[in-house]
Amino acid sequence: MRAKAVRPLSILLLLFFMALPAAGADDFDRLRRDASRISSLSADFVQKKSMKILSKPLVSTGKFFYAAPDSIRWEYVKPIRSIVISDRGTTKRYIASGGKMIEDKTGGAQAMKIVLDEVAGWMKGKFTANPTFAASVREGPETLIVLTPKGKNMAGLIEKIEITVSRKDAVVKTVRIVEGAAAETRIDFSHTVVNPVLPPAVFQDLP
Amino acid sequence: MNVRFLLILSLLLASCSSLPEIRPSADVTGKMSACPSPFVVQKTRFIHAIEAAMAGETRAVMIGVTVADPAARTLSCALLSPEGLVFFEASRTSIGTQISRALPPFDKVDVARGLMDDIELIFFEPPEAIDRAGVLDTGQAVCRRRLHNGGWLDIGKAPDGRILIQRYSKGGRLQRCVALAAGANPYAAIDLQAFEWTGYSLSMTLIESEAVPDEKILGK
Repeated sequence: MRAKAVRPLSILLLLFFMALPAAGADDFDRLRRDASRISSLSADFVQKKSMKILSKPLVSTGKFFYAAPDSIRWEYVKPIRSIVISDRGTTKRYIASGGKMIEDKTGGAQAMKIVLDEVAGWMKGKFTANPTFAASVREGPETLIVLTPKGKNMAGLIEKIEITVSRKDAVVKTVRIVEGAAAETRIDFSHTVVNPVLPPAVFQDLP
Repeated sequence: MNVRFLLILSLLLASCSSLPEIRPSADVTGKMSACPSPFVVQKTRFIHAIEAAMAGETRAVMIGVTVADPAARTLSCALLSPEGLVFFEASRTSIGTQISRALPPFDKVDVARGLMDDIELIFFEPPEAIDRAGVLDTGQAVCRRRLHNGGWLDIGKAPDGRILIQRYSKGGRLQRCVALAAGANPYAAIDLQAFEWTGYSLSMTLIESEAVPDEKILGK
């Protein structure tokens, strides 16, 4: 008797969950489709670094430029000027020294290449491409993508990365890198212009 | 050829390896108040832009955060890239040095210890008493301490008003030279020269500083 009563409920629940959109896959497809409309982008950013040793976040500001498929200029203006340019597979990092910008010949550029390649993927709506992270998506007023390290090789370095994407135009609005309980980096993008005309020099030259 | 090179090198090293003599001076000798003491007097957090160079060539630009507590003689420090990547985080207390994060080259114990020694040299007044005071041959007034490890530490004022801290080994070889800015805030600009086989220099420019009340730590 009881078994008969439960069966229709089970079927109803099954149908209900089948009717729900497939969580994740469809959302990532939509993000990729929406992001494909972005061929270039410029924005200002404010980076807030929080650490146990700091009483208040250390604030850095700068400018960000992107051109599809993978050209990026990531320029910090304050408190220290530094510029990372990634274009056609080559990444160069410039640091301020004695009032002028000089090329960083240490491994800093290669470390930043890994980061910029990842950011270029996000700009294209590719949040699931990196096998190091498991990606999940949460819909709300904005789309929230959470990247969580799969293995233990990120232990102590990154706990998770949260990326907020505008539902309106698939533009990345904030990136929050949680390193631990008392350390995180939050980057807020503002004054974002989608598909501006960016001269090639933006990704080749220093001002 | 090699013998000549070694001879020249030996002479050069010999010329650097003698502790400069201090002559008595009526202005300085016996007046310990004439000895500059630029060191922090209360728990303070400093954020500096740091330019690190080897062989005169800039190798890295970093952001350095230091919390120095002179009463407890404790130090906490962190080094970040301009992009916010933390590659060194450590603290030093009377118990010892604790390193919580160290990416290359700071993952080498000697490098990490040397870095913490440099920070201590810059911010903390040495516990040793002044041994003698006077003037160098250059005319520069200087106060000298005998360090507990057998070395020597001179603190004096350069003609341009900067405060010079010079640390010598037991044998009198100059190991470190720190120049602090002239004016009200000596920590506004700091230049450190390390005279080792792999010598390096740090040029530090103050971004901000603040007194730290106890327990004022983010995330606590």
